Amino acid sequence: MSADAEIPESRRGAVYDRGYRPYEGPRGRRGAATGALYRASIRRALGLRRAWRQKVAPFVLLGVVTVPAIVNVGIGYITRDQPIDRIEIITYREYVGVSSALLLFVALVAPDVMCPDRRQRVLPLMFARPLTGTDYVVAKVGSITTILFAFSFLPQVVLFIGNMLVSDSALDYFTGHLDVLWQVPVAVLLLAVYYAVIGCAISSLTDRRIVAGAAVIGLFLVTSISSGVIVGESDSFDGNDGSLGALINVLALPLHLRDVVFLGHVDPYSQLGGVDNGGLLAAATYIVVLCLGLGVLWRRYRWVER
Amino acid sequence: MAHEVWQTLAVDADTLLRVTGLTKRYPGVTALDDLTLEIPRGRTGLVGANGAGKSTMFRLLLGLAQPTEGHIQVCGIDVADDPIEVRSRLGYMPEHDCLPLDQTAADVVSTFGELSGLPRRAARQRASDILDLVGLDEARFRPIGGFSTGMRQRTKLAQALVGDPELVLLDEPTAGLDPLGREEMLALVSRLGTFGISVLMATHLLDDVQQVCDHVVMIDGGKLVVSGATDSLLDRTGVVTVDVGRHSDELVAGLARAGLAATIENGLVEATVDGDKEMDLLRDVVADLGLPLFRLSTRLTSLDEVFLRGTGESA
Repeated sequence: MSADAEIPESRRGAVYDRGYRPYEGPRGRRGAATGALYRASIRRALGLRRAWRQKVAPFVLLGVVTVPAIVNVGIGYITRDQPIDRIEIITYREYVGVSSALLLFVALVAPDVMCPDRRQRVLPLMFARPLTGTDYVVAKVGSITTILFAFSFLPQVVLFIGNMLVSDSALDYFTGHLDVLWQVPVAVLLLAVYYAVIGCAISSLTDRRIVAGAAVIGLFLVTSISSGVIVGESDSFDGNDGSLGALINVLALPLHLRDVVFLGHVDPYSQLGGVDNGGLLAAATYIVVLCLGLGVLWRRYRWVER
Repeated sequence: MAHEVWQTLAVDADTLLRVTGLTKRYPGVTALDDLTLEIPRGRTGLVGANGAGKSTMFRLLLGLAQPTEGHIQVCGIDVADDPIEVRSRLGYMPEHDCLPLDQTAADVVSTFGELSGLPRRAARQRASDILDLVGLDEARFRPIGGFSTGMRQRTKLAQALVGDPELVLLDEPTAGLDPLGREEMLALVSRLGTFGISVLMATHLLDDVQQVCDHVVMIDGGKLVVSGATDSLLDRTGVVTVDVGRHSDELVAGLARAGLAATIENGLVEATVDGDKEMDLLRDVVADLGLPLFRLSTRLTSLDEVFLRGTGESA
């Protein structure tokens, strides 16, 4: 008697070769591929689906950039019943310029999102899909812009809601700060796009993350120091002491635009203070830098363009 | 003008790939030189020595490079007209390492599924199915950095298949594999035909092509050497192999007396026969000598011989 015969029919197992099932569902083209790469890049930048070590840097940064908002709101809460003027350790305008933390983040994340594709030779696999070089750049720059925007904007939201809640009248605070509701996102977006383009452009020039990260920081520091030497440090300014040399300061350039967004003009105590049409010149230089960065990116990925 | 003429050509339903007058020149070198060929659906081997133009051919097929002259039509679509549509129908497995080592196989294959245009959920499901198909079911949640060469080759094949391509381009799929891994990879490639996926396999290993491909394209120095069905290329050589056990010497002597040239190769008698009469004569010699006949077969040419003959090196 065979072993099979001893087992009741209902209890017998079977091994199936599932074989291959063709896909017959909907299929996207460039837009879908770009979206997929955008999402994959965000996951990579945030360390999602990666080892816990990869998650530390982005979320520590988010914590660091949120601290001023929490402290500001905390002081407001503690002193809410005191007969003293409201104490603000940071304003919405200044908060857009928490750039040293963001700078470190860009130097860390942009190379991590860009360099391995080249170093590990993943690009041919990507461009064998319905994806062009332009789509690739859009997805990569877009992902880093999104994260920088989120990491700059979320603390502002914490600050705004916190200030509203600890104020004497939340409604009065809200109606009294309506202009902040457009100024903050616009200024943060200007900053995020700028850092993302520069970070991606520099990272596209090398396949080594450490080199790209050092180059990003180096560019900002060198231009900042050079501008300081030429123009002088803004801390010592009495107002309107700036000069055109401030425009070579790649680090401070988006902050001049931030000031234009919040104040309607360049901060007179900045390195560009007192320069005729300073805001316009800052905007023009900003656009030139962005175009240069995008030009580098286009050139680096044009080999898949027809 | 030539382009317009090309557009009017009817596309045979069985023709997967049509190349006409394809030339690709780089500064100082011509990678492909006036190549014209048609490749039917099924498994096709693209054979050539290193530098023959195989990789250039793949880049042109994917629309990643522009031909200097000529046209390529894949699945009835001109690559010059719509490279994106062509790419959405192709899968590509490069020869070189190309996988992100710090990600799991499931993540990588799923992401490439999405990049091929599949919705997120479908991509994850197909990634799981395809990794199972290539034998990486157990390892799919491990980082690729810890994979063996064979496992990485399977992952590369999986990412090429996840988008359910009509044609998959395999560039040296057995490169770097041990004999067992090579056999398993060839078995996988062989199965693809049964799934309705056509294969264009670039290799310089003619044995691989002979084992799994039903069509062969041989190129050398950017020029077409030969193209045709594998069976049609493996001609009869006129050499008959006879296995008479320990009596090979006796048979060679007997054949010589009957006027047939014969030699002993690896313990087997190889006799040159021309036509049915000489074949009958050989049979009679074996019978007259009373020798045991274990095997009598005609020897076919190998693809190596076809290639060497085509490139003029056989002499």
